[in-house]
Amino acid sequence: MIAAILFAALLGGTPAVDDATLLPADGAAAGLTRDGAAEVFRGAELYGHIDGGAEIYLEVGFERVTVQRYRRGEDELTAELYRMSDPTAALAIYLSRCGDETPDAGLAERHTAGRHQLLLVKGGVFLAVNNDTGRAKGAPLLVEVARAVAARLPDEAAAAPGAALPAGWLPGSLRVVRGPVGLGAIVTLGDGDVLRLGGTVTAAAAAYDDGRLGRHTLLVADYPDAAAARAALAHVAAHLDAALTPVRHDGDVLVYRDWAGRFGDLAVADRRLTLRANLARDPGLPATPPLDAQP
Amino acid sequence: MKRPYTPVDTDPNLSRREFVAAACAVTASGVVLGVPALADTPKATEVETNLADYLKVPRGPHALPGPFPGRVVQVSNARAVVDDRVDGKVVGEMFERGVRTLTGTDMRTSFRMLFSTDDVVGLKVNPVGAPLISTKPEVVDAVIRWLVDNGLPKGNIVIWDRFEGMLKDAGFTPQRFPGVRIEALQTMDEEGTSWRTADGRHVSEGNFDPAWTYVARGVVGKGVRGYKDDEYYLNQHVFAGEVSYFGKLVTTGLTKIVNLAAYKNTGNGISMATKNLGYAAICNTGRLHQPLFFRVCTEVLAAPPVRDKLVLNVTDALNAQYDGGPDKDAKFVWPHRTLYFATDPFALDMVCHTQLVAKRKAMGIQVNEAPRFTDYLRQAESLGLGVADPAKITLLTVRA
Repeated sequence: MIAAILFAALLGGTPAVDDATLLPADGAAAGLTRDGAAEVFRGAELYGHIDGGAEIYLEVGFERVTVQRYRRGEDELTAELYRMSDPTAALAIYLSRCGDETPDAGLAERHTAGRHQLLLVKGGVFLAVNNDTGRAKGAPLLVEVARAVAARLPDEAAAAPGAALPAGWLPGSLRVVRGPVGLGAIVTLGDGDVLRLGGTVTAAAAAYDDGRLGRHTLLVADYPDAAAARAALAHVAAHLDAALTPVRHDGDVLVYRDWAGRFGDLAVADRRLTLRANLARDPGLPATPPLDAQP
Repeated sequence: MKRPYTPVDTDPNLSRREFVAAACAVTASGVVLGVPALADTPKATEVETNLADYLKVPRGPHALPGPFPGRVVQVSNARAVVDDRVDGKVVGEMFERGVRTLTGTDMRTSFRMLFSTDDVVGLKVNPVGAPLISTKPEVVDAVIRWLVDNGLPKGNIVIWDRFEGMLKDAGFTPQRFPGVRIEALQTMDEEGTSWRTADGRHVSEGNFDPAWTYVARGVVGKGVRGYKDDEYYLNQHVFAGEVSYFGKLVTTGLTKIVNLAAYKNTGNGISMATKNLGYAAICNTGRLHQPLFFRVCTEVLAAPPVRDKLVLNVTDALNAQYDGGPDKDAKFVWPHRTLYFATDPFALDMVCHTQLVAKRKAMGIQVNEAPRFTDYLRQAESLGLGVADPAKITLLTVRA
């Protein structure tokens, strides 16, 4: 055991937590008993577990998921504990799936609870508990399982990707983007990883509504340095989607018009790239949030 | 269209449970599976397919878009789903209203318009996302009742999909549908333990027709991202290479097809009528999600075995899902209590796409409306397979 710890330390990591031990044992939560052994899917094995949508997990940073089924009488539950690469990755998945959050009063961590499913995020863990039968009586069990898991998770500082964005975004619209799958959910600028986020650069995006520009999306990405940010803008300009027409490309600013006659712009200031999409009118010079808005 | 019939030649096995989970991922993932997340990939328009071969075949009397191009009927009933329970009687009434409104005549005449009593009719359901967002058995009940009441032998009805395990999970079992055939294109051996025969061939090889293929040049089912290895891919897709064979059930077993899709998104697009068939009539589809994805939904439906047999599309939106699809995501499911009807699956998908985009916006989803997510429907119109231009589509709404 000591040797294993030393070996892990030599590799620069820490011994992996057995996530199955974080999930309730038999009888530990509302009398639920485990139905079979926990299954673990690591890395690309996630495709063997998720029925569509695994790519976004892998893009933002996925390590493994531990899946445990439970039974109590007629009720059947499944708990899925996703160990993500970092708290921002966990929050990214939570935000993409939580919809209009409907929390249960009995649970302190950020979560949303319903009859069929409970989703929770804490640190680098994203937890989904599913009520497989859909029985109304099964819904409280979801909370019990989530509470038991959350109690075993260490307290970590919550990710705050939205700190780079100006206040006032529309509720529920905050998203974290680290690659083309996440970006594609918001806007199509071109094929592939057109913003060159590479799974490592974190962008925050949200929807805003103002009288002049209408309802639109603002995305802010901070690259490692100014050269990388400028290279990303240049890559977009060179590979702009065929459905978009460039209106102006002046050094660090690119303005385009989309197929529906709406506008978008990208601008670089230092290492920050700002994208606004779906603008009701030609925006003129884009407003770039200052870097000191970042925490 | 004739291609060499190349048997697979490796033999590791996969448990049924592993397979079903992975198969769900493949059939359901749409925009995500097989997509290299961070790589630039070829554009759909750059891939050569054998679509032109299909177009050379003269159209049959029932060829798409059928007798009602551009006509879509939407039937809603607040009593269809109450407290998460589907009311089969109400669904039956909705089905009749839908068919009669679509055809402008009674049920018997409608039957004769689309079928004969010696037809073998395939009911293509969507079991992905069961039980929340799959095709509801009550909808299938209504179709079967209509067919049987008008003289079609029950044994001439086949409920089908690609994977037998998923059919069972979605409630399509012999016990639930006595007398009706339930078939999957891809199966394991009789013991349910192996995908390979003793001589190493895939159990399901014989279920596919070497005479009918969908070819995508240079898009091969090897090294496809999202699969542990090529054998894992073969267990789900039977064949690799740049050829997808059509299921024999589709090419020779059925004479008519009724397409019973579920109402759900897949990323910024939809996974409804055309995808329900486009990715289920053939094998070796994992390779196609990238770069072709939606284009497959048009081109496979352009193939004569589908084009000339698909006579009716009913999209089941009793429950519907506006985000997180195509697999179920309870947070985004709502009781839409609606059924859609069309002989033209492309007009149907355009209506449903448009309505789903509106729903997504209303629910605060940031929607990407790039034309690439509906280009396949316009491609279908250009091929004369259906109507995609909203100005040419007639939507008839019925509230019961």
